[in-house]
Amino acid sequence: MSRTQFRVSARSADARVLTANGSRKGQVKRAILAVFGIGLVACGGKGVFSLSAMTDNDRGALSAALAHRQLPPAPSPINGWQKPRVFAVQATSPKSIVAFDLAAGAQLWKANADVQSRIWVGGNFIIDVEGHQLVARDQNRGDVRWKASLGGELVGAAADRDRAYAVWHDGASFTIAAFDGSSGDRVWKMSSSGKLGAPAAQGGVVYVPYLEQWLSILDGKTGVQLARLRGIDEQISTLRVTSRVAYYGSKQGMFELDARSVAGTREGATYGKVTIPPQLDRARYGRDMYDPIDATYSANDRAHVLWATEPTDTGPMKFSGGGYAIAYFRYVFGFDKTGALTWAYDHPRIELIASAHTGAAILAVAANGDIVELDPKTGGVRQQLSLGTTAPVLGATFDADGWSPPGEAKPAETLNALVEIARDHDARFERVKELAVATLAKLPGPEVTAQLLAVLADERAPLALKDDVVDLIVKRKDPASLPVLTAQLLTQADYLAKTEPESLGPVAKAIAGIGAAPLDPVDIAAAVSGLESHLDAPTTPIPDLVLVIDALAAIGGGTERAALTSHVLLYHSDDELAGDAGWDRSIVRALVDHGGPAEHELLHQIALDPRTVPSLTTAINDALVE
Amino acid sequence: MLCIAYASRVKLRRDAVLGTTLAMTRISWAHAVLFTLAAGSVAGAAPKPIHAKAPKTDVSRLATALSGTDPELAAKAADDLGESPDPAAHDALLDALAFGLAPSVAVPAMLAVVGHPAPPDVVALRRYAGHRQPSVRGAALNALAAYPDPLAHAAIVTGLHDPTGIVRAQAANAAAKGRVREAYDPLFALLDRGEESAAKALAELADPDLARRIGDHLGKAPDPMLAECLGLVLRRADFGPDSARVDIVRAIAKISDASAVDQLTQYVDGTPKTPPRESRKEAQKVIDARLGGGK
Repeated sequence: MSRTQFRVSARSADARVLTANGSRKGQVKRAILAVFGIGLVACGGKGVFSLSAMTDNDRGALSAALAHRQLPPAPSPINGWQKPRVFAVQATSPKSIVAFDLAAGAQLWKANADVQSRIWVGGNFIIDVEGHQLVARDQNRGDVRWKASLGGELVGAAADRDRAYAVWHDGASFTIAAFDGSSGDRVWKMSSSGKLGAPAAQGGVVYVPYLEQWLSILDGKTGVQLARLRGIDEQISTLRVTSRVAYYGSKQGMFELDARSVAGTREGATYGKVTIPPQLDRARYGRDMYDPIDATYSANDRAHVLWATEPTDTGPMKFSGGGYAIAYFRYVFGFDKTGALTWAYDHPRIELIASAHTGAAILAVAANGDIVELDPKTGGVRQQLSLGTTAPVLGATFDADGWSPPGEAKPAETLNALVEIARDHDARFERVKELAVATLAKLPGPEVTAQLLAVLADERAPLALKDDVVDLIVKRKDPASLPVLTAQLLTQADYLAKTEPESLGPVAKAIAGIGAAPLDPVDIAAAVSGLESHLDAPTTPIPDLVLVIDALAAIGGGTERAALTSHVLLYHSDDELAGDAGWDRSIVRALVDHGGPAEHELLHQIALDPRTVPSLTTAINDALVE
Repeated sequence: MLCIAYASRVKLRRDAVLGTTLAMTRISWAHAVLFTLAAGSVAGAAPKPIHAKAPKTDVSRLATALSGTDPELAAKAADDLGESPDPAAHDALLDALAFGLAPSVAVPAMLAVVGHPAPPDVVALRRYAGHRQPSVRGAALNALAAYPDPLAHAAIVTGLHDPTGIVRAQAANAAAKGRVREAYDPLFALLDRGEESAAKALAELADPDLARRIGDHLGKAPDPMLAECLGLVLRRADFGPDSARVDIVRAIAKISDASAVDQLTQYVDGTPKTPPRESRKEAQKVIDARLGGGK
């Protein structure tokens, strides 16, 4: 039979599914066609992946394809034992695979393997590429079960309980093939002259991205195309499949595969996108199924949006728990549906090289083999395990859908995590630090202010970050922080103690910012005293001195007048200080706006003094005229 | 009296602007004056009696010049006011300092004030001890050495922590001149950092106990600085008894740096052979042993 005939047959088969849906006659015909199709695809059929092979976004075909899936009644791991597992690749020499039972907290096995790809998990086997072959290993022991040669360069693979699927290409010619999970026998194979993406498997169907705009849904058993979706206003380059839900989309956002997918549009389908802070701009919804890099474990696995959804008939996508998370190298951040950061987790020192949302927990593996399990709502750590590895972990695949670690989550330590991130000296994460300090600054309380000040005091903190922190401290306007800010004023320039004032300008600015708030008189007195010490300190830089004067005026309530009066008298004929326009403006405004008749008269007399620096005289005269 | 004129127009009093004067008792003030006179004689500066006979000074004219726009004339006026035994001259200086003087005038004004020290001076001088110009701070600290007042001493101690070296040096000098015991610890800290002014100050302040403490800084302070400090103590005519000098010689002997021999040599060279001094003999022995010339 010619390829053209196959295309016709395939189209007519779909038409019959449409017209005879539910009828016995239709079922029989579909069965005949399916058998007919097996014969075709086993011979290397190519027609499935042609633009005319099938009606796109066909409601009936999609419904049938969705119904064809054999999904578990509740989210569960794919493996036949339904045990939550993780399979990791270690950078030993040679490389090795470690299988780990998350529920038991124990290593299942470890086997040397020249792993050249990700690991995909099937029912009782796992597959990966070793050397140039697709290799299946027994999932309980790690022994090689079978090997299959690929006819080109791997694009990606997938597995379900019974079969393994692989897509490869040789030049512009793409091929997808299914292999029996037990024997490795090739079940079917099809070629495409159009670009195929890496497949994903779920409950007996295979999802195959096609030409970056289509998603073909194939019967895993036969290779027959059951339905095909076309993205009308968004590319289809990303796939994420759990035991019960499939998501497809792009960097822009993701569709949940359901009956509404026939719309092909964001508005008509169950579509969702989350707010990814610009500081976490490397985060993606899932693997790019067309990117050969994503057929292996890479840095792409370290920056992911993690989410779970609840079914909805109306769209848009409804996130479980009302939020989502982003795993970003060493950190995991939780966000609410508005995109506001609600929690943060900082993994000590080591990057998280893989992460997954099981629907009930966020799991992550660190490069040193640490496994951390977080509560998706709070970010609290539920459990910490170790793969027991001795070499760095290169990547890992979870098979733990629906799994919830036992026990209560520890209280989330978001504040500490944000502080740790903000004070992290790893130069790669400077933008993440910006996010951390911006979030910190929104939290109330003196301890937060103290931590922000600590960032300023950190000699290794980047200057841009310090600038951000300064702005944030000033914007906080947190009256409870006054004692912390005052404490910061205690440090003076001292040759013997080897100290310098830390962040004097920002601290003074922050104090000035809360001057209008109701404050404890004791706290005010302490703050005024601290500020006066810097007013009188000979080494206070003029820009900081100006801010100190402003702060005294804002907070002093009149108690600052004597100090400011003494200050202006001492320096009114000093070219260095009184010649500074900022200082002139500040000291004059402080005494004019916050002083009484005595201070105004004093300023008048200073203006009359011929020794007074002219710019100060002008400033006084201008202010007094106002 | 331009400055005073300003002050009177705004009802500005020194103590109103700067706070009240020190809570010193009459007894402590008497001690202060006596001590200042003694210190002045030690330093070689002739004390100036407050009510000594002197030519009549035109205080009003000088006060006007002091607050004038010509710095040279103002500085000269400060000197002249300082020479005057007239209490009004002293008040004029304090008034001018209270209203604020440019650095080039403030320094001679402070020197002038110290000519006839009085309790209110401390507040005025302390204000300048925190001046942004190091030269002004240094002058103020030196002036404060004349006042046995806790606030003056505190200012001197603060000066020892100053980030500017010349100010620390002036503070060390003031600590020695004012015999400021509170300054010992910061002086030792400065000695350990190799500041020569601290070595000189400690040497000037040292009694046998303090000298032992200096010797204990072997290994903490740089050898040449420690040797110089101990050498200065050893050569002080008023330091004794000789057993204490022997201890110093032995402390210097522990310093391996060549400067130790230099210091001992200076001591031996500067000390007459007769009457015989055990410390001199001990020093000679150390020199001979170190230079290999022992007989």
